[in-house]
Amino acid sequence: MDLRFTEAQEILKKAARDFLTTECPKTLVRELEKSEKGYSPELWKKMAELGWMGLVIPEQYEGIGYSFQDLTVLLEEIGKNILPGPLMTTVISSFAIMEAGTEEQKKEFLPKISSGELILTLALVEAEGTCEPSGISLKATAKGDDFTLNGTKLFVEMAHVANYMVCVTRTKEGTDKGITLFLVDSKAPGIHCEVMPTIGADKLCEVKFENVSVPKKNMLGKIDAGWPVAEMLLRKGSIAKAVESVGAMQTCIDMTVAYSKERVQYERPIGAFQALQHIMANMWTAMQTSRYLVYQAAWMESEGQPASKEASLAKAYINEAYRDVAQWAIRLHGGIATSYDHDIPLYYRRSLAASSSFGGTEFHRELVAQKIGLK
Amino acid sequence: MDFELTPEEKAHQKEYFDFCKELEKKRPASFVGLEAVFEVDECWDFHLYCAKEFAKKGWLALAWPPEYGGSGTMMDKVLFAEARGYHGIPGVDIFGIQMLAPTILQGASDAIKKEFLPPIARGEVMWCELWSEPNAGSDLATLSTTAIKKGDEYIINGQKTWNTAAHRADWGFGVFKTDPAGRKHHNMTFLLLDMKTPGVTVRPIPYIDGDAPFAEVYFDDVHVPAKNVVGQENEGWAIVNLLAGFERSGMGEIMGMYRELEELVEFCNTTKRNGKPLSKDPLVRNRVAQLACDLEAAKAIAYRIADLQNRNEMALMDAAAAKIFYSELGERFAFVSTDIAGPYGQLKHSKWAPVDGAWEKKFQECFVTIISMGTNEIQRNIIAWYGLGLPRMK
Repeated sequence: MDLRFTEAQEILKKAARDFLTTECPKTLVRELEKSEKGYSPELWKKMAELGWMGLVIPEQYEGIGYSFQDLTVLLEEIGKNILPGPLMTTVISSFAIMEAGTEEQKKEFLPKISSGELILTLALVEAEGTCEPSGISLKATAKGDDFTLNGTKLFVEMAHVANYMVCVTRTKEGTDKGITLFLVDSKAPGIHCEVMPTIGADKLCEVKFENVSVPKKNMLGKIDAGWPVAEMLLRKGSIAKAVESVGAMQTCIDMTVAYSKERVQYERPIGAFQALQHIMANMWTAMQTSRYLVYQAAWMESEGQPASKEASLAKAYINEAYRDVAQWAIRLHGGIATSYDHDIPLYYRRSLAASSSFGGTEFHRELVAQKIGLK
Repeated sequence: MDFELTPEEKAHQKEYFDFCKELEKKRPASFVGLEAVFEVDECWDFHLYCAKEFAKKGWLALAWPPEYGGSGTMMDKVLFAEARGYHGIPGVDIFGIQMLAPTILQGASDAIKKEFLPPIARGEVMWCELWSEPNAGSDLATLSTTAIKKGDEYIINGQKTWNTAAHRADWGFGVFKTDPAGRKHHNMTFLLLDMKTPGVTVRPIPYIDGDAPFAEVYFDDVHVPAKNVVGQENEGWAIVNLLAGFERSGMGEIMGMYRELEELVEFCNTTKRNGKPLSKDPLVRNRVAQLACDLEAAKAIAYRIADLQNRNEMALMDAAAAKIFYSELGERFAFVSTDIAGPYGQLKHSKWAPVDGAWEKKFQECFVTIISMGTNEIQRNIIAWYGLGLPRMK
């Protein structure tokens, strides 16, 4: 056991921190929230040069060949700073190609993802708002060499700018059997995309599929056998979102502690009051327990042991921890942090976005209930 | 970052678990809760028996230097605690082994080491801590029990309270005011004393559940040899801090809760209410799953502490956070279990009680961990002052 970051991870962390500090100030974050695209193509290009989109893509497909754990190290730094855009959804979706794709698919898509040419997203959730296979009803029907897709996906991150979607479809009635994944060109005829207004301004989209034709060669994995791949994406996505949340908690705490040392009331810094000190201690405890909980899940997943219980334990726990830390950060700042222009609300709003993504608290708790043996 | 145990550590872990599993079969039925060792005679006897068994294996001196009979690493210590926690096995003296031995190893003279460490490693001498006083709790430095030097002896007068195990222990360690006129933090000395010394009176204190895990200790002209000082005279506060610095990850308590979670799951799967097993009730599922999440978080930070300790790095902030977290989780375990058990939750160890009455016991016992070893409020001060650098209360 050695829970220190490796040297390469330390370098990655520092590079990310330096880059984000200069390239992604909060003025840009606010600008992007209001923009139509929701990301900066210029910044995207620079991120590609740093190799972020291809961080976990093997070198033979022109990626960096780092591990999933290395990715989470980067995501924690991103969480500290906030980086609007399709990085996480692209990287997580790329695992579907890496783990279920054919050699041809890998050769076609992975180098383009790595170079930043191709934005990818995951189309999973539908009207029921669940990540359970029972919630998947978008139909894919075989028709000659193609499949025809009909139905509606919701909360598809950045679908309006994505080039391809990993679309989770139903090819046979039932629950987890009968799910098939496709790589769908988001500009294909019959696709209608509309951005949904969300608290995180993170460009979640409604995507309607009307007789959308998808070539059979774009099927990811085997027909009717796609659910384990979707589960893997949910697992990795949950861990990724949770570790990003830990970074966000760190910033909320750093800002709150710093402010409480400066702000003077009753002739002393408010940080001298135990009423506030103990809340800050609780915030730190919530963050630090979150941190090692998700590190453990990330390590397992990275070692090739599916962290099916651990990812859910972490996501359920951290959904609440992040929200709790962020709301205390606002309260300890007082009136100042209720202003739109303050940075803390950026994190508070994203706590709800984070908990809604890759399965909410109740969803993951139910998975935990099953994994601990509740019949 | 690597959470994997080495093959050697895994082998040791298995050995500890196998051994404790066997010991569990011999555990008296009256052994319920964390403090049973101090409360029930046959449980204390079982504690002494386990200590001897562990001593034969050399497991009471894990991570000690070899010259004092030590073997293994800090990681072994953690893995051994896991096994004992999960199987509910005593035998490792919290005071002698967890607190005093590392303090002596780092802060005492060779003479003290040679005299006191071997009997601890052999599981022969059990210790207690003589810390709090009626008017000195969290603010321990205001203590008033005196130890006045006279020739080659100290003469102790005063009273110590909330002394867990004092009515069972052979020896005690404590801090006493040796220079009543001296300045705060430089006026007390860390002393070791035989609890059978004339003038020592021990009176068990009943805890809220009526059992007695701790005792009041009165000192009336108690003569202690001057050689029994750890560290320097009048500099006992430094030793107090040194001892407090041997943070515990809480792994034993945490693994105990893994066992409790399994028992709770089993109870939910096998107990019917309103025509269906409790486990089918979504509200029950949700609350039990929440405990499972918290428990895993507690274990993850305990590993973090173990990892730091294994490299002899400080874990002050993490240890404070872990202590707050696992002790308050213990309370939540008690509350959720007794809620789910309905009217059965209130039952003491009896033929009607689920899990031998452990939940009723825990409902009352949970404060022990929350309040002892530095209350959770003090732990929050530690995080705020020493971790976050917030202004210290004057």
